[in-house]
Amino acid sequence: MIGELGAVLGPEHGARLRRSLLAMAVYGVLQGLSFAMLVPVLRALLSGESVGPWLAAFAAVVVATAVASYVQAQYGYAVGLAALRTLYHRLGDHVAGLPVGWFSADRVGRLGQLVGKGVMDVMSVPAHLLQVVVSAVAAPATVLVCMFVFDWRLGLAALLTAPFLWLAFRWTQSLVQRSDTAMDDAGAEGADRVVEFARQQPSLRAFGRTADGYDLLDDALVRQRSTLRRLLRTTLPGLGTVALTVQLAFTAILIAGCSLALGGAVDVPELVGVLVLAVRFTEPLLAAADVGGELRMARGSLRRIKAVLDTPPLPATGTARAGEPSIELDGVGFAYAERPVLRDVSLTVAPRTVTALVGPSGSGKTTLTRLIARFWDAGSGVVRVSGNDVRDYAPEELMAQLSIVFQDVYLFEGTLEDNIRIGRPEATDEEVREAGRLARVDEIAERLPGGWQARVGEAGATLSGGERQRVSIARAMLKDAPIVLLDEATAALDPENESALIDALATLARDRTLLVIAHRLTTIAAADQIVMLEGGAVVERGTHQELLDLDGRYAAFWTERTRARGWRLTQPA
Amino acid sequence: MTITAEAAAPVAPAPDGAGTPAPGRAALIALLAPIRPRLIAAAAFQLVYAISALVPFVCVAELARVLLSPGAGGPGRPWPIAALAVAGLLIRFLSFGAAGAITHFADADLQLHLRRRMAAHLSRVPLGWFGERNSGHVKKVLQDDVREMHHLIAHAALDLLAAVVTPLAALVYLLYVDWRLTLVVLIPVPLFAAAFAIMMRGYDEQMRRWSEANSRISSAVVEFVQGIAVIKTFGQTRRSYRRFAEAADDFADFFGAWVRPMLRLSGLSMAFISPPAMLLVSAASGALFAANGWIEPVDVLPFVLVGVALTAPFLVLDMGSMRLRSAAESAGRVAALLDTPPLPEPETPVRPVGHAVDFRDVSFSYDGTTPVLREVSLSLEPGTVTALVGPSGSGKSTLAKLLPRFYDPESGQVVVGGADVRAIGSAELYHHVGFVLQDVHLLRTSVADNIALGHPDAGREEIERMARAAQIHDRIVELPRGYDSVIGEDAHLSGGEAQRVAIARALLADAPILVLDEATAFADPESESAIQDALSTLVAGRTLLVIAHRLSTITGADQIAVLDGGRITERGTHDELLAADGLYARMWAAHVRDDERDWTAR
Repeated sequence: MIGELGAVLGPEHGARLRRSLLAMAVYGVLQGLSFAMLVPVLRALLSGESVGPWLAAFAAVVVATAVASYVQAQYGYAVGLAALRTLYHRLGDHVAGLPVGWFSADRVGRLGQLVGKGVMDVMSVPAHLLQVVVSAVAAPATVLVCMFVFDWRLGLAALLTAPFLWLAFRWTQSLVQRSDTAMDDAGAEGADRVVEFARQQPSLRAFGRTADGYDLLDDALVRQRSTLRRLLRTTLPGLGTVALTVQLAFTAILIAGCSLALGGAVDVPELVGVLVLAVRFTEPLLAAADVGGELRMARGSLRRIKAVLDTPPLPATGTARAGEPSIELDGVGFAYAERPVLRDVSLTVAPRTVTALVGPSGSGKTTLTRLIARFWDAGSGVVRVSGNDVRDYAPEELMAQLSIVFQDVYLFEGTLEDNIRIGRPEATDEEVREAGRLARVDEIAERLPGGWQARVGEAGATLSGGERQRVSIARAMLKDAPIVLLDEATAALDPENESALIDALATLARDRTLLVIAHRLTTIAAADQIVMLEGGAVVERGTHQELLDLDGRYAAFWTERTRARGWRLTQPA
Repeated sequence: MTITAEAAAPVAPAPDGAGTPAPGRAALIALLAPIRPRLIAAAAFQLVYAISALVPFVCVAELARVLLSPGAGGPGRPWPIAALAVAGLLIRFLSFGAAGAITHFADADLQLHLRRRMAAHLSRVPLGWFGERNSGHVKKVLQDDVREMHHLIAHAALDLLAAVVTPLAALVYLLYVDWRLTLVVLIPVPLFAAAFAIMMRGYDEQMRRWSEANSRISSAVVEFVQGIAVIKTFGQTRRSYRRFAEAADDFADFFGAWVRPMLRLSGLSMAFISPPAMLLVSAASGALFAANGWIEPVDVLPFVLVGVALTAPFLVLDMGSMRLRSAAESAGRVAALLDTPPLPEPETPVRPVGHAVDFRDVSFSYDGTTPVLREVSLSLEPGTVTALVGPSGSGKSTLAKLLPRFYDPESGQVVVGGADVRAIGSAELYHHVGFVLQDVHLLRTSVADNIALGHPDAGREEIERMARAAQIHDRIVELPRGYDSVIGEDAHLSGGEAQRVAIARALLADAPILVLDEATAFADPESESAIQDALSTLVAGRTLLVIAHRLSTITGADQIAVLDGGRITERGTHDELLAADGLYARMWAAHVRDDERDWTAR
């Protein structure tokens, strides 16, 4: 654990961490010593000798313990603060270099958790938890050594219980670990079902399934309880054994001490001192058992942070300069989670032409556009943008070539204007508004209270899908990159929204190189080139007329889509 | 005061006012009612534990007395005392174990009980409630908050009891041994209290600053993490990263400055009452008393042994208080969820007769101030198609959602088969009213069970017949386990395929009145025709209310109602409305024009 902590913090904090550990160890030893000092004090007191010098020494040790406690706490917090700062920076730094494709919704959620609570968990290790563990070892060990000094037989009696203690701790730990895994699984299943239950309320109710009738949830909840009960049945005896073993040490000393005292083989005042010591012997151990849960949690966070830091970032050292705005894929293959998504795809988008990508869902259209923007690197083959391999660009240079207008538009917690400005932060207010006007965002600004300064929520809750897409077009307009990658909306838009969106798109498209995942028939038919994907491979390519004449997959697709467009829910009576 | 990880972890502010302690406590007591007898039993065991915890210490003191009195007793005397000490240990162990086991098992049962109760309750709150919260919130309360209460139930209450009883018993015992020395030994306590009071000065202000800093860093984290993928596509990673790094540094600076003075004071105050300090005070003052002949030297032992117990509660309370507070906040959120008013169910449900639908002067608003629907009246004849059209925000989706009672209107009535929907039992209502909306989620269970959601006893043949009618049977038999394939595990369906499973489900449920979002038909461009064929089968012969976006789809409707600003401004057939040359005619013209427009033209 300390090794992992050191690795995550980096070598520059090694000395600080070691210093803090040393202070903790000193504190632990002093704790043990201050307990042990009771023995000579009590012996002197009970045998009527002079107590003064021993009391003075005792006081000195107690003061030293207090000082050590204070110092180690300061050191511990210093390391904790360093950990806080370092982890934020290292995580931020590293994450900033990861490929965009890495940021799935699931990962983003977990990363947020990790950067928030996870970092705090890790911080608590040097700041707070480590000391408890170190004391649990150092203090009893010191006491034990002192016992040998006072009376080797009593020391031996105490020492004999150590292996049992160790075994009991180990055994319980393995029990807890196994149960934790089972609990996590049951908890995840329960959580999934709860989310499903909440999301599906409309259907569940409409089909007469209230909570009583929804067995999938209830089963999961019951399973959660039985897992918890099983966990308790296995771990409680373990924890009990630990507690019993801890008390075994005291019992052993008690019995050995009484026997020895009755045989006259031990000095009674000293024995009494050792007995008093024995009741203090195990306290730090129990404190350590108390923080076990927090420690496990911190270790989990530490491992997850390490896993993120170990994810390789996209290499980005290129210095290529962009040429004419074109796109070229040459024998590109790509697999996601071992599943091939694209196979041997080759295509060229000439400067200032329009290429429409069509094909069934799952055919690889989205992946293809993402490889161009280098969300990931292709597994095989080469992706070229404006004449160079995308890997030869610095990331900023590549992104300066591309505007991406996809359907999942992320709006920041901020004003409408802020959200457009992200396209080019140094743009003037006039430029931002002009881009907004061209993308017909002005119409949204007029309607919202606050106008351009209207705050649009985190998920952009105040705006509809079509409106958000217009904001995204305004960003692209402001950015003014020569190549546009665009996913045409499939969601049904109201006529006035649709008009505005088409106006916005028309302005954006002018004089740019366009690669469009196309859904509107007009867009497809008018494209300079249509590329049809199926199962991750290009099956047909050409103009609308060429492909219709070919009478193959595209022709069938076209017929089907044309028929669908003419669909009426009901014929007039 | 110990700054634990839990105290420091960014905690989302409790939105439900759970932070205010008083209602939280009352709510908590109510939540614990089902396990109260067991909690009382556990408390009894804990009481035994708290008192028996002192027995071994007292025994050691007595043992010393016996061993030190020369010749008194004889060789047998120490053993009964030693046996008593061991017995005390055993009783302490057993009663502690019993108390802990009882609360832990009670907690397991309470978790299930609370989750079930919340699930049952959520089945009765207005559906709109879910629209205002995401499913993550529900998960947090049902799973995380219930789990968070564990510390409170299984540990905190018992710890608190022991932390009060043990020192009291110790105090009584020590007063009995020698009251003067007891008072002297207690001297560190006021010192601690004074230091603690200084530390707590301005505590509220401190906590306020802390939670401000905390929410600043939390939102910086959220913005950085959530936005990074977008930021990267704009090539501005460095800038965004710099913002985050600054926020992180600010937070670390704040945290350092915030915690350091507290740490100093807490180090000092804890030093007064730490076990070594208490031992020193006991031993020194005891030695002083003995030297002056006020007590026997052996009487110092009880103080050395038990004196430490006097200050133990301060340490325990400090450690647990943060966890206790977060558990209480969780309990507050659980209670708040259970307090959400449910949709009232009729006491004597009315059975609807026939399939006519009537909206009568319906008004509605989501927030109570901005009206979304104003006195809307609309009749749907049995077996006819009514389409709702209008600009976005005109209220057409809201109006449609009042029919399956996602919300209840503020004034006016929604009448189905002659009965107000509020007077129809919800199970009965859903026999009459079905719906197919745009975003469909299937349950993570077999395809067959998904189709049979409304009719769990439907036979396989019937299920397959519906799947065929919904144009999805062929796709299902291609799945690895056919109809037994589980959604999300070995059945990965596209949006359009999931839509058709949902349509098969609606076909099997066979409600005579149907609410349909027309966008469903175009949700997946790759399987439009199949969805459309399935929809045509589904709507045949039913009373249909359609939320329409693409006007060409509903030109054949029996009745088109045009909504604008929450009112119905026009009503009629397609031809009638075109002739009227109003809003509908303008929307239609735009629709026809846009459909042919090519935005890529240059």
